Amino acid sequence: MAKLSERYKLTQSQKMMVFILSMSLYGLSNMITELIPEVYIGPIEFSVEYFAFIPLTLCILFHPLYAAIGASVGEIIFGELMLGQFGGFGELEKFIAFSLAMYVAGTFVRDPKNKIQVGIAAMLGVIIHQFISMTVDVLKVWVGVEELEVVPGLAESVVIIEGFYFLNDIFFSGILFALLPTVYLVPRLYGKIEPLLGMKPRERTDRYSLKEVIGPRLVAGGLVLASLAFMFEFLSETDFNPVDWEADLGGGLETTLIWVSIGMAFLIAVSVIAVMVKRRRDNMPPGPGGVAS
Amino acid sequence: MEYTRKLVDKLSVEQLKVELLNTAYGNDRTFLAKLDPRTLFIWYSFFGIVPWFIHNEKVLAGMFLFMAAATFTARVSPVIIFILCLGLLGQGGYLFIAALFFGGDWAVMYPLLVLTLKLSVISLASIAAFCSMDPEKLSNGLLKIGVPGQAAFSIAYGYRMLPTLIEEYQHVFQSFRLRGKAPEKHGFLYWRTIAYFIKLAVLSFYPLLLSMAKRARTTVEALETKGSLNGFNDPAVKKLKLSGLKMGRADYGFLLFSAVYAAALFILF
Repeated sequence: MAKLSERYKLTQSQKMMVFILSMSLYGLSNMITELIPEVYIGPIEFSVEYFAFIPLTLCILFHPLYAAIGASVGEIIFGELMLGQFGGFGELEKFIAFSLAMYVAGTFVRDPKNKIQVGIAAMLGVIIHQFISMTVDVLKVWVGVEELEVVPGLAESVVIIEGFYFLNDIFFSGILFALLPTVYLVPRLYGKIEPLLGMKPRERTDRYSLKEVIGPRLVAGGLVLASLAFMFEFLSETDFNPVDWEADLGGGLETTLIWVSIGMAFLIAVSVIAVMVKRRRDNMPPGPGGVAS
Repeated sequence: MEYTRKLVDKLSVEQLKVELLNTAYGNDRTFLAKLDPRTLFIWYSFFGIVPWFIHNEKVLAGMFLFMAAATFTARVSPVIIFILCLGLLGQGGYLFIAALFFGGDWAVMYPLLVLTLKLSVISLASIAAFCSMDPEKLSNGLLKIGVPGQAAFSIAYGYRMLPTLIEEYQHVFQSFRLRGKAPEKHGFLYWRTIAYFIKLAVLSFYPLLLSMAKRARTTVEALETKGSLNGFNDPAVKKLKLSGLKMGRADYGFLLFSAVYAAALFILF
């Protein structure tokens, strides 16, 4: 019985296959979700956040580490870079949060045919991911707005809004686009998709360990990043900003500044519309080309 | 109604593909596009991080002007900027309404606008830098700064495969529609129709998962035959591949100008 405890191992090429599969499919789904419009009913937003079922299904069926990383890379390339929305360093946080969540969800499932396990794993993945991104979003506002204490209601409202989004995402996106499709797809694909990649299906006895992901390098890197963030925050609180605008700006100037900012936003909006109109007009005579000048 | 129809026209699949390829390859003659990728990385790593820690609105405004100029010279697609503005205004607006609800007053507006300014500086910097690099340049640049070869390969692969994938997805989706039966009544707020389309969008991934699995296998087999899996992280191969990257006079000039501009902002304000 020594064979049963053996870990599920893949060759280099098989890892690459899982990676490419996960990357392309999740990337494609990201593009589609970008196109589906959001529906607002009052403050409640019914938007398709992401098709989480694709990475979840792949993480459950294949090696979760490569499927999870592939999905995150796919999101960055297709969903951000190609649409010109690459957020730079902000993507790092998304990458880590999403890969971690999907990986944990994948390792949770021992038996892909057990629907209850698959369902729990799917919700677990979504909850972990949304919780991390909620925390990061709250921290962003808390770090970004220095005069947080001065403004009444801002700190609380951020937490409330993000918390609300969190629940909204879990109950709407989570159930419709993670739980139901994953429970539907995993048992159907199990045993069918693996031979196409030239590997045997996962078995109940396969085990992964978290050690593969949380190595000493990751822990050290995380510590360094956290301390850097703390240091910057500390600097910005003390010496970075010697001019205290609250003290020397009167009410009049403040409103002018507000109007300047509003004007700026307005200017951007107007110029964008103008460019769009112009481009449309340029495109009209030669027909559908899209490449102006 | 007229407006939504125009928007739907813009969002046709063909238009989307054209727009994507345009973003990727359309602007290789701008000033920023001629720079070395490393220059853009350095430039971005300053303007993408530093604004977070600046609370002086004049410095931020100065940076914003610079970013706007850079984005303008990079000839970024207006659709992208439009999406960016919507996102920024939407987020700020929500926070504002909620803050009012929790007992804030109009004074809340000001810090929120500063925050929006800050976010727009950061987003514009990333748009200007990353839209100016075509995929090949970006993947070479990433390879140069030590990102694994697999990631650099996936960028090129993604750009190559995406049009095919979109087309295939559309075919599957349309054939589902053709064989299926759309709901007879739209229901309250069209919910039946919406639910039907969303269900199809999800179901269409089932055949796509299988066909993509086959395609992934073919790709990897092709990579193996060419020895690419070994070549990804081989120093000699890397050196040969990246020998075209050079920092020129324009690169140093641009970096110097940015540094002087940023320093001037800090000194003046």
